[in-house]
Amino acid sequence: MTKHDQSPHPIALQYARDAKAGKLSRREFMARTTALGVSVTAAYGLLGLAAPARAGAHMQQGGTVRMQMEVRAVKDPRAFDWPQITYVTAGWLEYLVEYNNDGTFLPMLLESWDVNDNATVYVLNVRQGVTWNDGTPFTAQDVARNIAGWCDTTVEGNSMAARFSAIIDTETGQALDGAIEVIDDHTIQLNLPAPDITLIAGMSDYPAAITPAGFNPDTMLENPLGTGPYLPETVEVGIKATLVRNENHDWWGYAAGKGAYLDRIEYIDYGTDPSAWVAAAAADEVDIIYETVGDFVEIFNSIGFEESSVASSSTICIRPNQRAEIDGMRPYADKRVRQAIAMAVDSAVCLELGYAGRGEVARNQHVGPMHPAWADVPAMPHDPARALELLQEAGMADFEMDLISIDDDWRKNTTDAVAAQLRDAGFNVKRTVIPGATFWNDWTEYPFSSTDWNHRPIDTQTLGLAYRSGEAWNESGFSNAEFDALLAEANAIPDADSRRVVMQRLQEIMTDEGVTLQPYWRTIYRHAKPGFVGWDMNIAYLPHIYKIGIAA
Amino acid sequence: MVSFILRRLGIMVLTALCLTFIVFWLTNLFPNLEKLAKTQGNFRMSDEAVLTYLGNNGYLQPLPVKYGQWLGVLPGYVIAGTDGEMRARCATGGQDIADAARFCGILQGNWGYSTVFRDDAGSIIATRLGLTGKLMFWVMLLMVPGALIIGVMAGMNEGSRTDRSLSTVSILSTATPEYVSGVVFIAVFGTATFGMQWFKGTATAAMDDANFENFFLPVLTIALYGMGYIARMTRASMTEVMTAQYIRTARLKGVAFSQIVLRHALRNALIAPFTVIMLQFPFLLNGVVIVETLFNYKGFGWTLVQAASNNDIELLLGVSIVSVFVVLTTQLISDIGYVFLNPRIRIA
Repeated sequence: MTKHDQSPHPIALQYARDAKAGKLSRREFMARTTALGVSVTAAYGLLGLAAPARAGAHMQQGGTVRMQMEVRAVKDPRAFDWPQITYVTAGWLEYLVEYNNDGTFLPMLLESWDVNDNATVYVLNVRQGVTWNDGTPFTAQDVARNIAGWCDTTVEGNSMAARFSAIIDTETGQALDGAIEVIDDHTIQLNLPAPDITLIAGMSDYPAAITPAGFNPDTMLENPLGTGPYLPETVEVGIKATLVRNENHDWWGYAAGKGAYLDRIEYIDYGTDPSAWVAAAAADEVDIIYETVGDFVEIFNSIGFEESSVASSSTICIRPNQRAEIDGMRPYADKRVRQAIAMAVDSAVCLELGYAGRGEVARNQHVGPMHPAWADVPAMPHDPARALELLQEAGMADFEMDLISIDDDWRKNTTDAVAAQLRDAGFNVKRTVIPGATFWNDWTEYPFSSTDWNHRPIDTQTLGLAYRSGEAWNESGFSNAEFDALLAEANAIPDADSRRVVMQRLQEIMTDEGVTLQPYWRTIYRHAKPGFVGWDMNIAYLPHIYKIGIAA
Repeated sequence: MVSFILRRLGIMVLTALCLTFIVFWLTNLFPNLEKLAKTQGNFRMSDEAVLTYLGNNGYLQPLPVKYGQWLGVLPGYVIAGTDGEMRARCATGGQDIADAARFCGILQGNWGYSTVFRDDAGSIIATRLGLTGKLMFWVMLLMVPGALIIGVMAGMNEGSRTDRSLSTVSILSTATPEYVSGVVFIAVFGTATFGMQWFKGTATAAMDDANFENFFLPVLTIALYGMGYIARMTRASMTEVMTAQYIRTARLKGVAFSQIVLRHALRNALIAPFTVIMLQFPFLLNGVVIVETLFNYKGFGWTLVQAASNNDIELLLGVSIVSVFVVLTTQLISDIGYVFLNPRIRIA
């Protein structure tokens, strides 16, 4: 274990050379160096740039903001399947690390971290002076308990386990013995059996909220113990949720100049129909729209709202589930059927019809040019005639595919575009639209359906969450030993260029197996009434609600 | 009179029983139960796990038994689960099974638990019904006087220009369903498209703080539909009264026309509209479902939509009971009120 208080991490220096040579985008460079423990200022320094000053001086203290957002039932953070839940819980349950649009990882409940040269030892320095809102100090024990909790695969729906699979013992389903080591009250060391470059990124993701000792999801609203500046006042599923400032708590962020400017944050549920959001905005009932989609970007601009947009690797996957059984057979287990689906659909058409062209065409690989180790693997050619031949070869030409989507704007339209193209190619397709309230109950189980996926900073992350065998979010039912082995190999290679060789093979498997349709990368948008600051769309939909304020 | 009311109450109970049994049967069809199990348990549940869950939680008992338990005439189940844990219908929130009541159905005042909203179904229905009550109150306040005035004005002079124009308006308004008029109102008065953005196209804020601006459009949408119908009935009744002998006599005596309308004609002309107004309540419940969803006003109608689309069994049953009660009570009031308005009717 080496300390890097003085000199930058050797891999970070390599990244800096990559970035200057144009191999690494600025965002990726920031993501990868700060994940190694290099401070943001130092990271900008490696590129010969000054870190941008953070806005904040021009806000007024106090005030209320009203945000249009679906209000969902709160539950154990590890089982969060929807970032909207965290906009409520982030009031009192905070994160160790924060991921920003410029790709940086900023320390929050951690003060700093160090990663050794081959990414097998992480030293986490817990922030001093943080207390829970009942007055007890926040220590390394709390962090260790949470990390151990993330590694507990026996908890139903725990998606954090996928992010921390590097330190999980597959036999016990718990963290490996000795993997989480508490050095002193404010220092923790993670010892990994094999290198993993994504742990810090995993800690910044929305299910990684830090919960107190004895946390009980059933009473988390009545007894909101946490470290954050707000408390929940009301949470009515489907209707409204309100956060109010916790006046009796000395939040660490006040001293650190983090903000929490607002006294009150209201989330109001207007359903999933964006035209209802426009009505709410026109009626001056909301100040911020959680996310604006498709044609509604223009509409909100036209009613005088301010736009915040960020190009991301957020996307939609229209995937057949290979394990799904229909009438005693598994229609999508046959590779030819999946390839036929991929060949029959033109991604550019999906982008145009489904998302008003606001994004980039993708190649069904769920890794893209915004990722550091993306390899330029060609997509399956668009060939509807060959698609029908393949389908007939597989003896599935008469099979009626039931293509399911949620009832909303862009996801429904994209899925419609897919269904239309499949029909044009001669497939027998039925479309089912399920209301938002029930769609997510079975989202991983539908035989053939569409799901939106959020941006993740590093190329191997989404592949690990969504396509590794047996993962909680593996909605395509994909299980491929070669893929899993290659993914483990890629996760151990910090250097992007070396990793690209493995990524190339992984992307080829994704294409060849026709695992999913992933037609485009989305630019994501948020709108707000003029007069508010700090509400910008986060590239990964993370709830940085303490940054929001009313302009002075 | 008393026996009449008792008889009507008996019919009400019988109707409620039949309706809830139908709803109960539909929500307990196996695919619906499977959906419920996956919502409550794990998204990736296998078919065996679904069966175990349903069995452990009493969903696989015979339908009449389950219905009896929900009703509270049969003791709530106590099932030893396959995981060794004992579960009882009446022991909720970590209560000890030995302490739990034997019966816990609707008769014991236990409305059950809403799986969508994660709350007690009874309290959800009470809150949401209160909000719809507020909407209804303003609808009635706008609709009833409006309809009566239009009807009386039209019926005073049958065939006059006033009559023809008011009748046209009433027919138009009653021929336009809420989902058409609501959308038109939002487009015209809720957005800047036509330069007439006088009201708000959403009523979400009206749940806490209703004012003219945010509450008028939903109220108007529901009221207009009923208004035309009641106005037509009032008009018909008014024209009939105006041709009666005693009106002619009054005119011959030289009583002023306004006096004839207000003193002599109005009371008799209001008998028929009263019944119609009362019978409008069931239709209003219908309109509320559409209008509340359209304007995002989270009342009873919206709850019904959410409960139905999520197969929330106990909430849906509660909603059904309340609906039956509202419909049959208004009919009872209409029958009793009729006796007072029309001395020719006697209820034995």
